[in-house]
Amino acid sequence: MDGLSPTAARRGEACAALLREVRAIAASDGITAASLDRFKALLIGLAARPELFPDSEFPMPEAQGRNHMLDPAADDGLGFYLTIGLPGKEAAPHDHGIWCVNAALSGREVQRFYRRTDDGGRPGFATIEQIDELTLEPGTAMAMADHDIHSTLVTGDRPMCALALYGYALTRFPSVVYYHPQFNSMRTLPSRRGAAVRG
Amino acid sequence: MSAVTFKVRIDNTGATIDCARDSTILTAAVLAGVKFPYACATGNCATCICELRAGSVELLPHGDGALSARQKAAGLTLACRAQPRSDLEVHWLGEPLAG
Repeated sequence: MDGLSPTAARRGEACAALLREVRAIAASDGITAASLDRFKALLIGLAARPELFPDSEFPMPEAQGRNHMLDPAADDGLGFYLTIGLPGKEAAPHDHGIWCVNAALSGREVQRFYRRTDDGGRPGFATIEQIDELTLEPGTAMAMADHDIHSTLVTGDRPMCALALYGYALTRFPSVVYYHPQFNSMRTLPSRRGAAVRG
Repeated sequence: MSAVTFKVRIDNTGATIDCARDSTILTAAVLAGVKFPYACATGNCATCICELRAGSVELLPHGDGALSARQKAAGLTLACRAQPRSDLEVHWLGEPLAG
């Protein structure tokens, strides 16, 4: 832990402990709704320790959105980040292809969940409908399975800071599929896994 | 939709489209039938990154990784986040993605 602030060292230990628990749950139970719920509880617990995540060690975005890696030792395993979005920052409905769990540290973000309503038979065409919505704020978390579809929008007048745990590191994601109801379209962003593995 | 519209010339195709002040270049282009490259359409992936060859825009919120301050200074913009503030000329740099 040479060169780390005492806070960063404590944070590193706390994150490593959480990831050990996540890996143990995944190894024993697999990735199920129940295990995702347990991950949520772990993330809410860590997010309840804001002293580990001081603003001074997590610079704000230059624009409106930024991700800080919390687990630099990750290779092809879990991705664990502190994400920051300024008010108005959004993401259109998308399917990561991999599960994720988010827990709020501060701020507020509206998460909407969707299901696809077309048969997938026309390339580039898709229709979706909203099936759920929640507001992520301190003390709350959300979890998504591998191919769930969600959109995000930071609301209010404060930055939204959250802990975000994914089944892969962001640079190694499977392809991400975005859905655009205003165009009745979908677009697939190619996977970055190949490039990441090649280095 | 805003009553104020601007002309946007898309150099890749030669098309000139109307774009309302409160619309984005991408939305106006796609609705006009232009095959503008895009994926997230919310300022996160940079698939719609383009050169702003003439005119001025205002950007909606976007991620640091999609458009840096240096890229902005070099005249690049994100069609999915850029709302026109004058007539524009743009040239997209990406490749259209499959559905």
